[in-house]
Amino acid sequence: MVRVMVVDDHPIWREGVARDLTEAGHQVVATAGDGPAAVRIAAAARPEVVLMDLQLAAGSGVGATREILAADPSARVLVLSASGEDADVLAAVKAGATGYLVKSAGRAELVAAVERTARGEAVFSPGLAGLVLGEFRKMAAGTRPDPTAQLTEREVEVLRLVAKGLTARQVADRLVLSHRTVQNHVQNTLRKLQLHNRVELTRYAIEQGLDTGD
Amino acid sequence: MTPPAPGAPAGRTRVKTQLWRAVVAFRVAALAYAGALTLRGRDDFAHPDAALVALAAMVGWTALMTAANSRDRGRVWPVVVADHAVCIGLTLASAAIQGRDQVEAGVPTLTTSWAASPVLGSAVLGGLLGGAAGALAQGAASVVTRGQLTTATAGNVVLLLLAGTVGGYVVRLAVDAERRLAEAVRLEAATRERERLARGIHDGVLQVLALVQRRGAEIGGPAAELARLAGEQEVALRGLITAPPPTGGPGAGPAATGPQPQEIDLRALLAAQRSTAVTVSGPAEPVPLPAPVAAELAAAVRAALDNVARHAGPGARAWVLVEDLGSEVVVSVRDDGAGMPPGRLEQAAAEGRLGVAGSVRGRLADLGGTMAVESAPGEGTEVELRLPRREGGWSG
Repeated sequence: MVRVMVVDDHPIWREGVARDLTEAGHQVVATAGDGPAAVRIAAAARPEVVLMDLQLAAGSGVGATREILAADPSARVLVLSASGEDADVLAAVKAGATGYLVKSAGRAELVAAVERTARGEAVFSPGLAGLVLGEFRKMAAGTRPDPTAQLTEREVEVLRLVAKGLTARQVADRLVLSHRTVQNHVQNTLRKLQLHNRVELTRYAIEQGLDTGD
Repeated sequence: MTPPAPGAPAGRTRVKTQLWRAVVAFRVAALAYAGALTLRGRDDFAHPDAALVALAAMVGWTALMTAANSRDRGRVWPVVVADHAVCIGLTLASAAIQGRDQVEAGVPTLTTSWAASPVLGSAVLGGLLGGAAGALAQGAASVVTRGQLTTATAGNVVLLLLAGTVGGYVVRLAVDAERRLAEAVRLEAATRERERLARGIHDGVLQVLALVQRRGAEIGGPAAELARLAGEQEVALRGLITAPPPTGGPGAGPAATGPQPQEIDLRALLAAQRSTAVTVSGPAEPVPLPAPVAAELAAAVRAALDNVARHAGPGARAWVLVEDLGSEVVVSVRDDGAGMPPGRLEQAAAEGRLGVAGSVRGRLADLGGTMAVESAPGEGTEVELRLPRREGGWSG
C-alpha cells in the first residue's frame, strides 16, 4: 500500500485518479487543487508519492515539486501531465521529480507507475527520455560543459531506446542486460541531471553574490 | 467601438472632445480679457456706445459658440468658418469704433485675443494646415485694421500662426496616439480572450476527454471506440491551444534561441503528427532547420508513419524521436507492429516496387541525408533518418 497525494486543479480528474488508486489498494491521503495548498497539505499528510499535474490554477507544479521535496526529501514526485508541456516536464524533473506519465496513460499503467515510484524507481515515458537526452546534449554543447554531467555511451543507448517506445524489459533484451541494470542506467541519468541542476544553482548563487547574504 | 453615425464629423474621438472643451474655455477667458479692456478704455473711443454693442455681440456669439462646440453637430467647418467671419467682422469694425488715433496708437482691437478662438477651432478640425489657414485669416484682418504692418502686429500674426500650427500638430499627434492606444487595447483584449478560451478548454474539455479516453479504454467494446475518438480530439484540441500552427511559415520557431530568419523548428512541424497511436519525443529546445529542409524531413516522417498505419497491422503504435546532435539531425520512427523479414525491402526494390521506403530514401538523398531500416518479424520496424547540417546552402 502506498500513501499517495493527488495534485490537480480539475476536480473530476482528481477524484477519478484517486478512485483508481484506492481501488488498486492504495491510500490517497490527500488531494490538492493548487501549488500552495499542495505544499501545505503535503507537510501534514506526509505522502510517499505525490502525483503532480504541472498546469495548476495557482502556483506552478514545478515550484510545488521543489518545495515539497525540500521539506521532505524522502517523498517522491511523479509528474502526471498532458503531453506537449516539454519545458515544464524538464523543469519538474530537474527540481527533483523522478517520473513522468502522460495523462492518457491507462489505469494499470498509472497504478504500476505509482508503485514503482514508491520503490524509488524512475518512471520514464518516451517523451521524458527524449527531453533528458536533448538536455544532456545541450549541456555538452554549452560554453562550459560539466564533465560530471555527461552520459556514458550505454546510458545514451538506453535512453534512446526508451525514447523510441521500448519498455525497460525490451531494452534489457535488446542490450542483453538485466532489467535491474537498465533501471539503474535510467536512474543515473536523472541523478546526474538533478545534481547538475543543483551545481548550476549554487554556481549562479555564488556569481550573484547571494551566498554572502548573512 | 461604434462607427460614427452618418453625417457625423469624421475622427470623433475622446481626445477631440477634450480639445473642443479647451477651445470653449479659451474663448470665455479671452472674452473676459477683451471685455475688461473695452470697459476700461471705452471713454477714449470714438464711439463708446458702439463699443458696448460690439461687446454685447461678442458675449452673445461666445454663448452661441459654446453651445455649438459642445456637441458634435457644432464641430464642423461651416460653424468654424462662421466663427472666423464674425471675428474678422468685429476686428475690422474696431477701426471705426475705436477711432483712427486709438488704432494707430497701438491700443488693442476690441476682439484682441478673442480672435484666436476660431484659429484654435480650425486647428482642432483641420490639423496643422487648418490651424495655419485660420491664423492667416485672422492675422490678415488684424493687419487691415491697423492699416499698416507694424512690429507689434507682425508679432501678433506670428503668435496666431504659432498657436494654429502647434495646436493643429498636437491634435494630430494626440488623435494618432489615441488610435494606436485603441488598437493596442483591442489586440490585448483579443489575446486575453484567446488565453481565457485556452484556459477554459484546458480546465474543462481536455480533462473530460482524457477521462473518457481512460474509462472507455477500460470498459472496452464500443466504449473503446469512443475512447479512441476522445483521445484523438484531445490531442487535436491541445495542439490548437498550445502549439503555434505548423503553417506559421519561416521563422516560426521561438526567437530565444535565435534561428535564422528562414529557419523553422522541426519539432513544431512534427508535433502535428501526434495522436493516440503516435508519440513524438525530442529536446525541449527548438531544432532549427532551413524551412524547405524541415518541410522535406517532416514529409519523409509523415510518409514513414503512413507506412506504419498501412503495414504494421491493427493497433500498432509508433514513436518518433527527434535528436539534434549539432552536426546532424536524427529522426527515428519506430513501430511495434508486425515487422518484416530481412531482405524484404531489397527484394521489393529489385522487383521495381520501391513504395514508401523508396520515396523516403529518395527525399533524404536529395537533402544529402541517409535512411536506414531495421526490422524483424514480430519486432516492429525502425526507420532512422540522418540529415547532416551543412554550412551555407542547402539544395532542398
